[in-house]
Amino acid sequence: MLSASLYIIVCSARNRMRVRLRRLREPRYLIGAIVGAAYIYFSFFARFRASGRSRRRLQASDWPESMAPLVALLPALGGVALLAGAAAAWLLPVDSGLLEFSDAELQFLFPAPVSRRQLLIHRMLRSQLGILFGALIIAVVSPPALGVSRLQLSVGAWMLMVTAKFYFTGVTLARARLRAGSDRVRRVAWLPVAVIFAAVAVVGSAIARDALRSTPQGPRDIALAIGRAAQSGPARVVLWPSAALVQPLFAAWPEPYFASLASALAVLAAVVGWVLLSDEAFQEAVVTVAERRSQEPSPQGGISYTVRSVGWTLAAVGRPETAFAWKAAQQTLRMVDRRSLARTVILLILLTMAAASMGRANGLASLLGAFSFAGTVFTIVLAPQILRIDLRQDLSHLELLKTWPIKASAVVRGELLWPGVVITATAWTMLAVATFLSATLLPRVSVGWRIGGGAALAIVAPSLVFSQLTIHNAVALMFPAWVPLGNQRPRGLDAMGQRLIMLGGTWLLLVISMLPGAIVGGIVWFAFKGFVGAAALVPAALVCSMIVGVEVLLATEAIGPAYERLDILAVERGE
Amino acid sequence: MALSVEHFGRTYAAATGTLTAVEDLSFSVASGEIVGLIGPNGAGKTTTLRSLAGILRPTSGRVSIDGHDIIEDPLEAKRRLAFMPDEPHLFEYLTVTEHLRLVARLYGVADVDSRAAALVDELELKGKEGSLPGELSRGMRQKVVIACGLVRRATTLLFDEPLTGLDPIGIRRMRNTIVARAHAGAAILLSSHLLHLVEEVCSRVIIMDRGRKVADGTFEELASRADLATAGSSLEQIFLRVTGHDAVR
Repeated sequence: MLSASLYIIVCSARNRMRVRLRRLREPRYLIGAIVGAAYIYFSFFARFRASGRSRRRLQASDWPESMAPLVALLPALGGVALLAGAAAAWLLPVDSGLLEFSDAELQFLFPAPVSRRQLLIHRMLRSQLGILFGALIIAVVSPPALGVSRLQLSVGAWMLMVTAKFYFTGVTLARARLRAGSDRVRRVAWLPVAVIFAAVAVVGSAIARDALRSTPQGPRDIALAIGRAAQSGPARVVLWPSAALVQPLFAAWPEPYFASLASALAVLAAVVGWVLLSDEAFQEAVVTVAERRSQEPSPQGGISYTVRSVGWTLAAVGRPETAFAWKAAQQTLRMVDRRSLARTVILLILLTMAAASMGRANGLASLLGAFSFAGTVFTIVLAPQILRIDLRQDLSHLELLKTWPIKASAVVRGELLWPGVVITATAWTMLAVATFLSATLLPRVSVGWRIGGGAALAIVAPSLVFSQLTIHNAVALMFPAWVPLGNQRPRGLDAMGQRLIMLGGTWLLLVISMLPGAIVGGIVWFAFKGFVGAAALVPAALVCSMIVGVEVLLATEAIGPAYERLDILAVERGE
Repeated sequence: MALSVEHFGRTYAAATGTLTAVEDLSFSVASGEIVGLIGPNGAGKTTTLRSLAGILRPTSGRVSIDGHDIIEDPLEAKRRLAFMPDEPHLFEYLTVTEHLRLVARLYGVADVDSRAAALVDELELKGKEGSLPGELSRGMRQKVVIACGLVRRATTLLFDEPLTGLDPIGIRRMRNTIVARAHAGAAILLSSHLLHLVEEVCSRVIIMDRGRKVADGTFEELASRADLATAGSSLEQIFLRVTGHDAVR
């Protein structure tokens, strides 16, 4: 089986590379590859060469004095974070993806005379290429610090990622064993859960004791308290496995590094042993993973929909644009993506904590105001790129769309309608909060300017949003092969270069499209500001928004022929 | 003629140069007629159907539906056309009923409720009206696609392997549905590898091979053709002979 596994891995990698190299014969991929390579060179290698000339790496002593104790505690802090992640893995519905066999693997390997353990080893081997690549990227993008070379960092990161992946697989297998009929099997399966949570209790109580003694003031003190607690008494003992995995990222060369590597290898070996010994639960775990995958009906995977009434029944007769908006509304309101929601909440909390710790906020009101304003700008500027419930997603249904007797410009307008409304409504909500709290955020600015500015931004927001959506959809129609469809994530240097070109082109087009409106709006502003002061922002914004709105309507008519000419074969499927 | 195809051709850009999928294809389908389109894999059947439906642009020639050119006057042509592809492409977030409502809105079907209810009965989708495509079997999704095609009053129906994924009862019902639509006056072009189905429901057959039409006529006409007279009387025997595979046993 080992040779068959290696054969599959080598052939897959070779053929994927062949496909990527072969497509470089097409100018669009070649240009993308050149741009991608240039980006990587100038972003990383050129910078490293420049910094390498100093021939000196950062040492712990180079950090500011106030940060030095924190830097010294990084391995311990990393160990605590790993332990927390290991415990969270039991509570959250996460898995490593190691048991997600491809359809071909299910069809060819499962009926073959191959043991469950061999199948697990096959998947473990198969995952190595991706992990190695990830470790390499981490090493490349990380600036050399604390005297650790990129090779050391790369090996350490690989060790950490591979152990994490196998651990998550072990958790998935143990979950399956927890449902087993036999009491003995269930008791054995509970053992790692008990060990992990006992370790969490030990470390948690040590941290709590330290925190009560020192009463930390802010995130830095909290981090110091955690680090101190993790390095003392029983907490140090129970944290040894997770700290050992993190240690190679920080250990000095050569003896301490090799010693830490040996410890990390021992932990990895223990995790691999645990996973392989759990192979009796393999079949059930694979079935569970496959069932969950099958409940994700999206061809690109990852999104599941739940039928629920949204209180909007499509009338039998009316403009086609509304039908497209209705369709997109059903999709948005039926999308249940708890993972994204959890990620967003975590991100929001981290951002809030960062803002608070940086001392920029003065009280909850100003913090919320600043956050709402940042959210408004983020929504207007980036959401049209991120929210892809338009042609960028519906191109995967082009075969169906093309048969509909709808004018091309109406299709384009219909596709823009719902995402435009959603983004504008979100931006308006946040802008209303920011304007309401603007007195605490901008205490020196007069109320007239604050309200005038808020109103002007609210008026300009829809035109900015719709013009960006128009550009993104026009690009999708004119260069469909460069636009990832739905949840696709094209890989490779050429795909990265294509994305960079698209991003640059989109921003350039946005600036050009806003220019006429901005110029005329500016003239209106200069003409009226002497008479009405800040209130002149409102007519200036109105004029600007109207001009951009007309441009959007004209653009949807202009890109109609591109939709009619669009050949379904030009819309490439994922790699 | 409800469906008219004149000198239709379609080429693709391939790594090795230009690939001709269909070349100089001409035929027509009258109202009430069911014409079978058969051929070996890669013969160009699906390319032809997708071009007739307005999904692919013909490289040459002319396609018209009720006199409306699919390129010059696409909206009027598409309004009269229903294409049922072999792969059921559905929106994964819309239920069966919502698919029917959406199609009805786009085609301007005012009496969608009564038509949808009748189709749900006819195609045995009862109880599945509120289901998402991900909750349906392959055969059920195929039925939804067909229901979406039949919910409007199309004069020309294009079926590409309509029986894929259906159970024996579903196959029988679908066959009856197709025949009923022809009796109601629709022009039907049906592509299938199930030669017994084609033989059973079609009044005429077009055989394609390597992008070209190699035979066109009723079964009697084909059987009496001089070069096919010794092939046999069944469609399978005729098919194997005209595609040069009659040595295959």
